[in-house]
This record gives sequence, structure tokens and C-alpha cells, in this order.
Amino acid sequence: MKLKHALTVSCASDAGLVRNFNEDSVVADDDFGLVVLADGMGGYKAGDVASGMATMIIGNELKEKFAKGVGKSNGVDLETELLRDAVTRANQAIYHAAHNKSQFQGMGTTVVITLFRDNVVTIAHAGDSRLYRLREDKLQQLTTDHSLLQEQVQLGLISAEDARVSHNRNLVTRALGVSQAIAVDIRQERALPGDIYLLCSDGLNDMVDDADIELAMVAIKENIPLLVQQLVIMANDNGGHDNISVAAIKIEKPFPLRTSFFARWFGAAA
Amino acid sequence: MAKLVLSLNGSVLGNYFLEKERFSIGRKPACDIQINDQGVSKEHAIILTVGNDQILEDLDSTNGTQINGQGTKRQILQNGDVIEVGRYRLKYVNQKAMPDMDFDKTLMIPAFDRTKLSVDGAEKTGEDTASISTAVANARNVKTVFPLGVVRGIGGTVMGREIELVRAITPLGKPGGSAIISRRPGGYYITYVAGKKHPVVNGKSIGEAPVALDNLDQIEVGSDKLQFYLK
Repeated sequence: MKLKHALTVSCASDAGLVRNFNEDSVVADDDFGLVVLADGMGGYKAGDVASGMATMIIGNELKEKFAKGVGKSNGVDLETELLRDAVTRANQAIYHAAHNKSQFQGMGTTVVITLFRDNVVTIAHAGDSRLYRLREDKLQQLTTDHSLLQEQVQLGLISAEDARVSHNRNLVTRALGVSQAIAVDIRQERALPGDIYLLCSDGLNDMVDDADIELAMVAIKENIPLLVQQLVIMANDNGGHDNISVAAIKIEKPFPLRTSFFARWFGAAA
Repeated sequence: MAKLVLSLNGSVLGNYFLEKERFSIGRKPACDIQINDQGVSKEHAIILTVGNDQILEDLDSTNGTQINGQGTKRQILQNGDVIEVGRYRLKYVNQKAMPDMDFDKTLMIPAFDRTKLSVDGAEKTGEDTASISTAVANARNVKTVFPLGVVRGIGGTVMGREIELVRAITPLGKPGGSAIISRRPGGYYITYVAGKKHPVVNGKSIGEAPVALDNLDQIEVGSDKLQFYLK
């Protein structure tokens, strides 16, 4: 199943202006409709190892399964299970590497994944990397951060506006590689033509206001590679305090898994 | 380590380190800072430590709590904040709690034990929202040292219109934009976005790369003609 004709995918990753190296990793595959973005942490360059392992293992795992042929959904949960398995495998691999090599001790990574299949996007995430969607020129955040800041707001300790002056923006409550099991949030959404999905590390959303992310997405929706570059520029123009990774996917056309004989003849959805 | 410097009329009465998750201020002897003054309620306020944040919460005290002269119910403390409780002042000192950027490296911490934070057993109802704005306070405005840019319509459908270039991006042309003007620390730039015709600046078609705009440059986007100037 090639999705190149239905999706426009572009991504960019930048060290920012303060950090010496980039510990984020992004993998995008428009054949399989898969994007994986990870923000690594811990140790001297170990964060880079963790995020690289996450994107590579998850990407390869899913591509292998698709190459073998996973077939039609067994119910609606096939994609959910595929993503859960892939994240679990990546978590174990990073966890073992972190425990077996002293230079990797304490490493971990966030992850956010989108898998586009059969007009549906399956979304998985752990940590504070985000997925946004622009639909009808309105920006909506589809993931809820696994961060102390998010918990503070949910408990009513601080207001959503006060999050701006918090000192907890760097504290995540979930990450791959930190313990033997990983709780990953997975949900599915119908993907509509015209939608733009935006995955990002906190280097974007900590530096660029949601209103300005929306502004850029609306103004540059006809040029996805430029959009991605522009968002990185905006984060750097505002200070670039952290690594910045951005991936955007625009739905150009519907992408049903199979078109039935009748649908092809009568133009109706199968 | 964060501390509070207690003072009355300018003379320092003591230093208190915020070593507990729940640090109390009030007239009762059991409070971590006891202030024996009629203007202070028995349990006046608490300071909760959550990760790197220290959050002051007024416990519905009779006379209220001020931070830097403003009444507050609940607020994240920033280095140098002055808390006023009755006639007393508490200066919050924490070099790690600067109001602007403090991007430490990302760390993993376990979700905190919420039972420790409940105030007098009261159930807190927070905002169950997916979107919280983590963008730092200065993320909105690109710091610029040059005058505000404006484009004025001098031909086509935008004739006579003036658009102030206040935001990071201003789209030009048809919806979806065939060009954008971006406001950056070094000045204004025009960039081609989409469409058959690339924008024209001073009679010259621009390519894919952004082009810096100078005062009084003439711009063509689609059939619209505009002039750029600095106010």
C-alpha cells in the first residue's frame, strides 16, 4: 500500500541556538504513511542514542510487518496493536541498553507516532512530544502531554495560563527506556482531505505560541516543506533554547485500504 | 535550595528553607513559619513544592495574601517575589526559579503522589484540558529593534488597504497564500509559498529563497501590487 499519492510529508530537525547537538530523531515514510518523532534525554549524547533507537526500531518493526502483509483490520484495533507492540519493543531495547552500558545509563526518550491507514490516523505517544491537527484553519492539540506541568494543571494546582511561568516544563512523567514497561496512549481519528497533522518536540511548542503555529499552518498550508522550515525558523527566532523537530503530513486525498468493485464503478465509498 | 526571608518594616527576622512539600504560614504554632500577629490568619497560606515549582496558595485568609503588591489566590513563585502576609514580608529566593527561560535538560520523574498535595482533604477540580500553553512568555513577540513594517495596497484587489506587519507571519495573495512576509529579528522577509507566479520585488521575480525587504520596496503578489514601508 503506497500512500505517496495521498499524503504530503515533510520533516525537519534542528539543534536550536543553545544546545551543541541534537538529541531529537525523526523518521518519516510516505509509502507507509508513518511518522515517528522522538526527543531523547540523559547523559552525554545518550539522549541521541535513545531517540535514534526509538525511531529506528519503531519504523523498522512496522515496515517489516507491513511488508509481510498485515491484511485487513481484525476489527478496528489492528493498527493500535501494531503501534503498541512496536513501542513496547523499542522501550525494552532502550531499557536494556541503558542498563547494560554505563555510558547509556539514565537515557530515555519521548515518542509521538502517526500511522495513516484506511482513512484513519492512529496516534501513539509517551512523554511531552506533541501532535497537532489543523482542520478548517483551526489548530487542535490531539495529544495530552505526559508531563508534570500537565498534571499540575489537571489537578488544579495551577491554571493553563500559569503554565507559561512554570519551571517544570522539562519534567516528563513518561519516557521510553526508563522502566521495563511503558504505558503508551493510543487513539484513532478519521483523517480528512485538507487536514494537516503536525508532530513536534517541545523545542517548537515551548518557543512558539500555539496561535503562531496556527498562523503559520494556515498561511503556508500549500507548501508543506516550507511550513516545516518556517516553524523551525520561528522557534530559533524566539530563542531556540532546545532542539526543534517538526514533521507535517497533509492529507491530499482519501486513502481507503481497498476500493470495492462497486465503489469503483459507482464512485461510492466501500 | 529555595528560601524565604521574613522581615518586618525592613528588618530581617529569619530565613526559612522550603524543604517540605507542604510548607505552611500562619498564626498557629504548628505552622512552619509562625507569625504571631492579629493580621495573620491561623492558617494563612501554604507553599506547595511540585517538581521545580513552588506554588503559593492563600488558604482563604481573612486579610489575603499579596505577591509583589497584587492579591493572589494561587501563584507560581518566581525568584525575588515578595509575599506579603499582614504587615510581614517574605522574600522568595530561588536562583533556579527565574521568570524567563530556564531550559534545563529534560528529566524523567515519576508522577507525583497526589494525596500529599490535597489541601485539608479538599478535592481539587483542575482543568481537564489537552492544550496547555507551555510557550514561554516571550515566545509571542520576536524581539525587534527596527520600526514596524507596513504594506500598503497600490494596485489590484488590495488597493488602498494597509496591513501592519505585527505578527510573525503575514500571508499575502489568495487564501492559502502565495507568499508570506515574515517578521524576524533581522527585519522583514518575503517568501514564495505556492502558485504559478512567484512574487515580484522591485520588478524582479523572486525564487524559492526568502528575500529581505527594504523600505519602499514594491511587491507584486498575483495581481496585487503593494508597497512595503517602515513606520
